[in-house]
Amino acid sequence: MIDARLLALVWPDLRLADADVAPFQPMLDALDDLSPRIEAVDVGVALVDITGLGALFGSERRIAARAAALAREVAPLDVRAGIGDNRWLAVLAARLGLTGDAPLRILDRSELPQLPLTLLPADPATRQRFSLFGLTTFGQLAALPRSAVGAQFGATGERLQQLARGNDPRPLVPRRRPERLVAERAFEPPLSDVGAAGLALRALVTELVDRLRDRHLAPGRAALELEREDAAPLRIELAFPQPALEPDWIARLLLSRLEAAARGSLPNFNQDRPRPPDRSSQGQMQAQELGKSMPHSRHRPDTAGPNRPKPAVVGVWQAGDDEPGDDEPQDEPRIVGIGLAFDRLSDPQSRQLAAFEPQAGRWEELRWSLERVRARFGDGRLWRAEHVRPSASLAEQRSRLVDIGP
Amino acid sequence: MHTQAARPLTDVLEALREKGLRKGVGPMPGQVDGPSISTGHPRLDDALRTGGWPRGSLALLDAPLGNGATSLALASLAACQAAGGLVAWLDLEGSFDPSTAARADVNLEWLLLARPRDTGEAVELAAWLARTRLLDVVVLDLGVAAVASRTLSRLPELLTRFGGIVLALAPAARETVAGVAGIRVMLERRAWLSVGRDVVGERVEAIVARHRWALAGASTELDLWFSEGRRVDALLRSLASPVAARDLEHLRPIDQQPALRVLSA
Repeated sequence: MIDARLLALVWPDLRLADADVAPFQPMLDALDDLSPRIEAVDVGVALVDITGLGALFGSERRIAARAAALAREVAPLDVRAGIGDNRWLAVLAARLGLTGDAPLRILDRSELPQLPLTLLPADPATRQRFSLFGLTTFGQLAALPRSAVGAQFGATGERLQQLARGNDPRPLVPRRRPERLVAERAFEPPLSDVGAAGLALRALVTELVDRLRDRHLAPGRAALELEREDAAPLRIELAFPQPALEPDWIARLLLSRLEAAARGSLPNFNQDRPRPPDRSSQGQMQAQELGKSMPHSRHRPDTAGPNRPKPAVVGVWQAGDDEPGDDEPQDEPRIVGIGLAFDRLSDPQSRQLAAFEPQAGRWEELRWSLERVRARFGDGRLWRAEHVRPSASLAEQRSRLVDIGP
Repeated sequence: MHTQAARPLTDVLEALREKGLRKGVGPMPGQVDGPSISTGHPRLDDALRTGGWPRGSLALLDAPLGNGATSLALASLAACQAAGGLVAWLDLEGSFDPSTAARADVNLEWLLLARPRDTGEAVELAAWLARTRLLDVVVLDLGVAAVASRTLSRLPELLTRFGGIVLALAPAARETVAGVAGIRVMLERRAWLSVGRDVVGERVEAIVARHRWALAGASTELDLWFSEGRRVDALLRSLASPVAARDLEHLRPIDQQPALRVLSA
């Protein structure tokens, strides 16, 4: 049996009360390149299972240095590392490393007896009782009979004694990285407009849905990116009201939003027609920039280099607005590629429904059907009413209608 | 020794489903089960002889403007929601008043309001909503718009297939809708209900003029309240007393009037 070896990483800057913890998850994602078993113990503390990685990366010091380098690529934060046989020893080693100058501390069990009992995770009352009994080091506590410790300090004392002996039965619980399914196509020669990409979009959706159906999973969100010739890529995101496995409707909804986004990205449309910002909360079409989360753009060679146009930030478009082609005809950029990603994967048949509102679960299901109604009839048809001032004297001030958005 | 008999797996799964765990088939928790949905008025439920609006039916609330068709539709929606159902109102003319609906005990949170652009779209929208099988009652308020019978011809068939209920309000197209509706309830005002000088409701006679699934011809009287819905003070009902029409012209002082008056219409 191979003895487990765990690497604990502690970022002191992320442990501060007012720290910006945004880089923590990306750093864990970066560590996936090192080991598939990573646990986020707390904000700023991670455990990496490095058992058996020596054959790949060399000594434990080199593995720790590689982990620190991977994390530093995401955010240049100071990191302390500790290596031990179990999670307690690894984290303890990292904590000991915080006080020293060396960024890595490998803790050996033979060092434990000299460590002070203040390092144990004990409450103040237990610490005080330890001192009353004259116990000051790990070694003194570890040398006592277990039954005697249990009689004096109960189950907590027995657990602390096991820690003082270097034993920790708690296993590493690796985090589950959110899965993302990606498919893409390149067009040679390029397609003339967005509408022509509909067939490829349908094929991509069918391909991904077939892969998910075999695993009894369904996507909760779709992200679509359209690479255009001499123009910024179009990126839209569509969150489904519930996990969906209907390729026809997913493709239709995506295509309708894509066409609207393409119209919205034309210069005449975006610059000449400012729109109030609050419309986005009322459920009209929204196209969002996905940025670096789109793998399609990450793997595609950046042919335009630094002069590549930035992604189009498409605003809010409503069906009732004037069409952009009213003033003069616009030439749409040609389409050179399309990428589709599904995420928020879940089992569509294991959703938890609200227990106390009988209509809540059905309303969520209805929202998905209403998406189809919107696709068929257009915007501005479906509303919900809500109270504003129930006691207002004028009837029109008592309530208002809210558009049911996607 | 007392032992509990093991339950069949199907029973256990069914019990779990009833508690909220959905297995992909079977009724959703809170779904309004049963072959019919209450109208909100027990006397009308009895008159219909089906315990309410039967599922899969297109029902015409046949009444001239101001004769209680909207109030009856709101009462039906409120009763459906109280049983855990989802409802929708297709508002062709934009005349739907949420505060009036709320006073009739309709929960706005679970009410879908749709505003079609024309009559054809309204009917098509009703069919689409019926196809979802998630809406128990849909009110199709056509207002004073005319409608062609050809537009409505497929709606009853769709409703029968998907089990939805559509209550049609079409004062200007009564005869057209009546030609395809499976149920026709005629409403005729018999009296106003007032508290003091304030009119708070009306008493209407509901006649089941046509019923595809039961014997038609029954009639009953319904009290439709304008503002307080089903929360109307129970004491008022006990104080109701018919007042002859001639008394309208010689109203006694307020302190000598009964709390609730029934004035001949």
